[in-house]
Amino acid sequence: MSAKVCTTLVIGAGFTGLGTAIKLREAGIEDLVILERADRVGGTWRDATYPGAACDIPSQLYSFSFAKNPGWSRTYSPSAEIQAHITELAERFDLVNDIRFNTEVTTMRFDRREARWEVSAGRRTFYARTVVVASGPLSDASLPKIRGIDDFGGARIHSARWDNDYDFAGKSVAVIGTGASAVQIIPELVKVAGSVKVFQRTPGWVLPRVDLATPEAVKQVFERIPVVQQAARTALFVAHEAAATGLVWNTPVTSLIQQAGKLHLRMRVKDRWLRRQLTPDFRAGCKRMLMSSDYLPALQAENCKLITWPIATITADGLRTSDGLEHHVDAIVFATGYDVHLDGPPYRISGLDGQVLGEEWAGHPQAYKSASAHGYPNLFFTCGPNSGPGHNSLLVYVQGQIDYAVAGIRTIVEQDLRWLDVKKDVQDAYNASIQRRLRSTTWMSGCSSWYLTADGFNASMYPGFATQYLRQMQDFRIRDYEVASNAAARLWNIPRDVAAV
Amino acid sequence: MTMDMDEMLTKIKDRQWALADIDWDAPGVETISEDFKPRLKAFMADLCWIENVGARGFAAMAKKAPTPMIAEIYRYFHAEEQRHANAELALMKRWGMLEGDEIPEPSVNIRMAIEWLDTYADDMPLSVLGTVIPMLEVALDGALLKFLLEEVHDPVCHQVFEKINNDESRHIAVDFEVLDMIGHARARKLAIDFVSNLASPGLIVGALMYVPLLNRMRNNIVEMGLQPEKLYAAMSRFERLGRRGEFTHRVPLFQVLRVHSQMVVNSEHPYHLLANSMVKLSEYYPRALFRPIPTWFKELTYEPVSTGVKKGMNAA
Ligand SMILES: Cc1cc2nc3c(=O)[nH]c(=O)nc-3n(C[C@H](O)[C@H](O)[C@H](O)COP(=O)(O)OP(=O)(O)OC[C@H]3O[C@@H](n4cnc5c(N)ncnc54)[C@H](O)[C@@H]3O)c2cc1C
Ligand SMILES: [Fe+2]
Ligand SMILES: [Fe+2]
Repeated sequence: MSAKVCTTLVIGAGFTGLGTAIKLREAGIEDLVILERADRVGGTWRDATYPGAACDIPSQLYSFSFAKNPGWSRTYSPSAEIQAHITELAERFDLVNDIRFNTEVTTMRFDRREARWEVSAGRRTFYARTVVVASGPLSDASLPKIRGIDDFGGARIHSARWDNDYDFAGKSVAVIGTGASAVQIIPELVKVAGSVKVFQRTPGWVLPRVDLATPEAVKQVFERIPVVQQAARTALFVAHEAAATGLVWNTPVTSLIQQAGKLHLRMRVKDRWLRRQLTPDFRAGCKRMLMSSDYLPALQAENCKLITWPIATITADGLRTSDGLEHHVDAIVFATGYDVHLDGPPYRISGLDGQVLGEEWAGHPQAYKSASAHGYPNLFFTCGPNSGPGHNSLLVYVQGQIDYAVAGIRTIVEQDLRWLDVKKDVQDAYNASIQRRLRSTTWMSGCSSWYLTADGFNASMYPGFATQYLRQMQDFRIRDYEVASNAAARLWNIPRDVAAV
Repeated sequence: MTMDMDEMLTKIKDRQWALADIDWDAPGVETISEDFKPRLKAFMADLCWIENVGARGFAAMAKKAPTPMIAEIYRYFHAEEQRHANAELALMKRWGMLEGDEIPEPSVNIRMAIEWLDTYADDMPLSVLGTVIPMLEVALDGALLKFLLEEVHDPVCHQVFEKINNDESRHIAVDFEVLDMIGHARARKLAIDFVSNLASPGLIVGALMYVPLLNRMRNNIVEMGLQPEKLYAAMSRFERLGRRGEFTHRVPLFQVLRVHSQMVVNSEHPYHLLANSMVKLSEYYPRALFRPIPTWFKELTYEPVSTGVKKGMNAA
């Protein structure tokens, strides 16, 4: 048994995986490997190349505080710029050599005897004492199950796998979906396509997005005086935290945000019926807010039309709607979102006693502080159960998860532990409290969203301020865990797998 | 008689059809005689707009639906009424009743109904909408088609109406199921909804709109040489279907409409004097008082296939 066992294996080389590696290095853990199924770093931003792709949280906040970018060109940077930033991070922190590209994790199991994770990727197997799951909350996408979808003879393009070779100029295009990606794609398509028909199922709340170019002078100040950039970031953070009072909790502030949404609609859309079609019937925040200033004008362009009839079926030439019409199009753009893996990562993870995570989590995933799951020792999740923000940058939350994982891994290394497994009762108490606190949130106010499982269980969002979340993540407590130590095993000369303390 | 709405929605999705399923150029046009055409045109125009009114009603219902599943069903029904209107328009086109891009003018009574819906429907409680819509469905939407089939022998027309009737049977099944659910609500809630809306401009104007609309259709039918008894039979169906529900009888507005339909059905009833004078009166209603036709109204089209975007129209 001479297989190399590294200290930490990270799955995924997106923002999160790279951020984890940076912080692990900083903590003195050099012995790590990153597995990435693609041939480049970047994750979401490598894959989101559709026209108009950009973040909808200001870039200053949509980045790591420990690896800032003074040079963001705009308030909301376009996808290519974010991708360039991530690539630059990998180089700046010298991570590229630790990444195994074209390596897709298919299964992983905890080997109790050897106290290590055995991670399989195709024919290769990797061994590691600890694993950080950073394979992304929204990294898989598939075409929706619409009747007749396979019969379509034209181009089928998914927003998450954009076909940059397809020339939309003059084409008749259907866009299915009106979520976060759609509101970015539609204004761009309307500029080039012959016609754009937008098929909407449920309208979302749209707020204007003031996207300004960053003046050169400001970039230079950020570059030279990092404190100023940190101050700008803090100001944005506080502003987003304030929004939580309306977007996280269902309060009078929620109504105020809705008023703002309605005002925006009223200002941008003159026609009453169109306004009615675009008015959401759920509480603001219950689904992801849509941030766009050009979506509503684009819908009203001469070559664009919003269609709210249900899609009955897709045919060889286009789509049939339930009002009896067939819409002939050259291409269908599916802006239908991602496969959200509410039941845990889509690859098989088996734990201490051979139990399978996906089965345990089916319907009701549970973790402690979103990072540890009982029975799966030495494993740290990012973007785990109940870790999602409704009002703030995901990366702010991820940074807390990275700190937590690093603290756990350091504990394992420094105390020479065989494993660290969160206590069942601690995890249960934490989740009971989370579910209790979730009750008063907008997400539970009655809409159906991808935040909820089929039976309406919320295992994705964190009910609180980012500040609260970060505080809990900065507080790694070993007493929350059962530990098995190597020292004890050696001292008493007992078989290693019963050395739990 | 609780219905599985999940199953119903699947059935609805399975039974979708489109204008393109029908060969609009198939033989049979010659079965419509020239002198019958003007009366048929008037009838079809109103029918087609009644579908559209029903459509708008379902749009309002979708926002009030008691469960998300029923909301989704109403979303389909909204579209299906539009489909009926489009198909009826396509029949008119086939029969040469439409010049070029002509879309028939809605009658005053229809315009009143449209205006009422556009102004009040979204604010009406489910207990009101859920009672009025079934009445509209059995008395007009569903029933009128049946009359037509006796007078018109064009096979394409029969093919179309068979499809429409199948849709309607599902509409009516759901309508009365929901009416029964409404009756299940606490009596106090029903009473409050009823009383607080009784004196509301919404219901008063609604009644002023509904009474002449119904009698107008009755007169249309008579003019086509049909027996108004058919319409009455349809209206008593409202009562019959309502009686099947366990709780429907508890809905106050159901009782009102039931008594009203008894008056309508009795051709000797002095009610008809009132209703017919309302039809006449409404003819004098100044057109200028109508607000511009709402844009949802312009979505009607007889074109089975739409390519590209033409503003203001669903079609072409
Ligand atoms: C279009 C879009 C816009 C967004 N905008 C915002 C925003 O404005 N603000 C915000 O806060 N959040 C936004 N998000 C959420 C976004 O997902 C996160 O902010 C962030 O990019 C997540 O980074 P990540 O590294 O955790 O995951 P990802 O970026 O998804 O990276 C995961 C990586 O893991 C790899 N991987 C996956 N499975 C395997 C496997 N089995 N084996 C090996 N490698 C694997 C993937 O290839 C990928 O490279 C957006 C998401 C999308 C899709
Ligand atoms: Fe109908
Ligand atoms: Fe109907």
